[in-house]
Amino acid sequence: MIKLKTENLTKRFLGLVAVNKVSFSMEEGEILGIIGPNGAGKTTFINLISGIIMPTEGLIEYNGLDITYMPAHERARRGIARTYQLIHPLENLTLIENVMVGSIFAKGHSLKEARNKAEALCHELGLTGLDRDTSRLTILEVKKMEIARALANEPEVLFLDEVMAGLNADEMKELIAIVQRVALERHLAVGVIEHVMGVIRELTHRVIVLEAGELIAEGKYEEVSNNPRVIEAYLGRGGV
Amino acid sequence: MVMKRRTAIIAALSFAAAVVLILWKPTVLIYGLQAAGLYAAVAIPMGLVLGIVHIVNLAHGEFMMVAAYAAYFGCKALGMDPLLAIIPTAIVTAVFGWVIFQLTIRRALKAPELNQLILTFGLAIAFTQTINLIFTSQTYKIPLDYVSASMDIGDLTFGVWSFVFVAVAIIFAYGVKFFLTKTMTGKAAVAVGQNPRGAAIVGIDVYRTYGLVFALALALVGAMGALFLTKSAIFPSVGSPFTMKSFCLIAMAGIGNIPGILGASVLLGVSENFLRAFRPTRDWAEIVFFVLIIAVILARSLKGRKS
Amino acid sequence: MNRNVSRIFAVLFGVLAVTLPFFAGDYPLQVARNIMMYMALAITWDMLLRSGQISFGIAGLFGIGAYSAILSVIRAGMPAWFSILFAAIFSGVIAFVIGFLILRLRGMYFSIVTLALGEIFRIIIHNLHDFTGGPEGVVIQKGVIFGGNANSLYWLVLAGLAVALAASFWFEKSKIHFALTAIRNNEISAQSSGIDIFRWLLLAFVVTSAIQGLLGGIFVQSYGFATPDAVFSADFTLLPLAMALLGGVYSTTGPIFGAVLLGLVSEWLKLKIPYGHLVVYGIIIVIVILFMPQGLRQLVRRTSHSADGRSA
Repeated sequence: MIKLKTENLTKRFLGLVAVNKVSFSMEEGEILGIIGPNGAGKTTFINLISGIIMPTEGLIEYNGLDITYMPAHERARRGIARTYQLIHPLENLTLIENVMVGSIFAKGHSLKEARNKAEALCHELGLTGLDRDTSRLTILEVKKMEIARALANEPEVLFLDEVMAGLNADEMKELIAIVQRVALERHLAVGVIEHVMGVIRELTHRVIVLEAGELIAEGKYEEVSNNPRVIEAYLGRGGV
Repeated sequence: MVMKRRTAIIAALSFAAAVVLILWKPTVLIYGLQAAGLYAAVAIPMGLVLGIVHIVNLAHGEFMMVAAYAAYFGCKALGMDPLLAIIPTAIVTAVFGWVIFQLTIRRALKAPELNQLILTFGLAIAFTQTINLIFTSQTYKIPLDYVSASMDIGDLTFGVWSFVFVAVAIIFAYGVKFFLTKTMTGKAAVAVGQNPRGAAIVGIDVYRTYGLVFALALALVGAMGALFLTKSAIFPSVGSPFTMKSFCLIAMAGIGNIPGILGASVLLGVSENFLRAFRPTRDWAEIVFFVLIIAVILARSLKGRKS
Repeated sequence: MNRNVSRIFAVLFGVLAVTLPFFAGDYPLQVARNIMMYMALAITWDMLLRSGQISFGIAGLFGIGAYSAILSVIRAGMPAWFSILFAAIFSGVIAFVIGFLILRLRGMYFSIVTLALGEIFRIIIHNLHDFTGGPEGVVIQKGVIFGGNANSLYWLVLAGLAVALAASFWFEKSKIHFALTAIRNNEISAQSSGIDIFRWLLLAFVVTSAIQGLLGGIFVQSYGFATPDAVFSADFTLLPLAMALLGGVYSTTGPIFGAVLLGLVSEWLKLKIPYGHLVVYGIIIVIVILFMPQGLRQLVRRTSHSADGRSA
């Protein structure tokens, strides 16, 4: 069942085309890799889907509903969630409070319910010391918190934006297992933006490749990674 | 192409408006231009600081007020004319400003923008109240003959001294532009303003540049303080309207557009005087720039959101 | 500070505040009234600050409240009680309308616009001579609340403070805390968690403006007159700001602390150096922002460091 799709999605910034007529779709239960060299427009693409910016042209459909110009917070309420590459984790809120936000505002739970759900989420992801200041978290904990924060929206579609960056091999393995389990248990459609190809290979069912805002290849990781155009995009650009 | 067309339209409208005013209420145009000169001359240094150091100095007008007081008492003590005091006041104000910068503003440069706002707000209060404490709210004025020089055209008489502000504004505008585009220090300052980290990497001492630019801006402010003294009375809160008006002009012209401040100041000066020319609207003249600030800020934010 | 200890302190303080008129003389009572007025304003300024927006327009809403109260009494014969309530509602409505215009702005643009709006209100009131009495202002001839009884006026201000305190605690203990803090931290992230930023900013702005208007109404009823310069005085913006900063922002207790401290210090200074106390406000703002932007509260928390690292 198709959860999310875009048709000819385009974003122009004053003459620069950041996303160029991208059409794709995501199915329930699938983990889709979104790869491409630096500057290919991956994050802009996710920003368009999550509603942080509005497209110049094209269509975005979620569960059959046209959400092209829907405000970001509305999309969050309907079940689209994403992580951010946060340089500074959200201060002024403790770890658990950060996770509670989505529960409270995207799902409308009471503070008490939100707290319970957040605690359960954190437990599921292996986070402890929930009342800690976020400035004291390790990098892995920050990533887990971001994922928990997104899951608090009780989403049907989840985007992970370079969530593996900065982790060592063991930590990546742990997160991969978490994402797989979470996606399976919740029947999520997951989009994973990544530069670490090992993660893409292991985690994803299917991959799409963006270059200079265009979708240049689609398919399983093995097919795509042997695609000459894809190879040229990476080597030619010096990406990854 | 669109820009050229827009500038042409604005120029045409301005010309038409000027002609109408000359025929109907020439004093509005004359006094409006003079006021424009004063506002622009005071706004340009604030624009320089905002463009390079990237702080809104809410104590800007207060620095000018302090300079004016210094000039006043200097002139009284040494028995000299304020015009002679322009350069000494400029130097003194530059040094004073540089010291304040090193003690306070410099430390807040890495803090959130809002902290900087509150800091300069606090400085403004401290300056105003200190002057108030020492000199009370009494007004001081130096009576000068040449200030009441006037000219007759037909049956129209008007004061001409205030045109000196127009001259100063133009000198400041092109002087600053020259400094920023033709001198080494100026070009370095522009680099720092656009990309402090990049500038540091190529070896420019960023904080020294900030201090220098701030001092330069305050030298201009100091000069204006002395010049202001020729025409107006001074009292502790005389500076604060200038802070707001300067900010208004910079917002209208766009940060970094120093010559644009000249054009914006004409709009402001003429509008104010236009309202003052008619009895029923006289009291509303002071509202002009507040309304303009809001209109300009809203317009810019709307434009920003459209892209 | 231990929860129970601070609760006991709060109760003691509350009892002291309520019973003060029975054992304090006129002068201390007057000082207390002043402090409470500014304390309440400081709290409302802080409440909006929690969303990341700095308002320089407290005086504007306070003045609007003041004039709507006094004019409703003089021109419409409204009873004193009701005029104060009316002031709150009127200010709230004005804030609601302006909110649509200005709450899209951020940072210094928002702050400067609030300052400009306050001045515009002052000039409008100043210029509409016939309706508002112009620069000389208006006076309540009769029907001043409580007949001017000093004790009752004190309790009136205390009631106003109580409203501000209640609102601030509401903001701290409910969903609003999460919304405002998330918005202040990172608006983009907040949106992705389902927060409708404009809606929450509007709520904060309207509530704080209504309380500021309420206090303006209380002010005019206490003194029986209003002039543009008196009620739109920059003091009403500046002092609460300094108090909240000094005591520690993003909290209810910070502004309380700051108001008491600054209020007492300035009273003392007023006696020693008339007019000098205002200089101190400016200097305090500068020093606090530079060296302890989190205010005294942060200083206290740092020295009595608690183990669980609970955040603000």
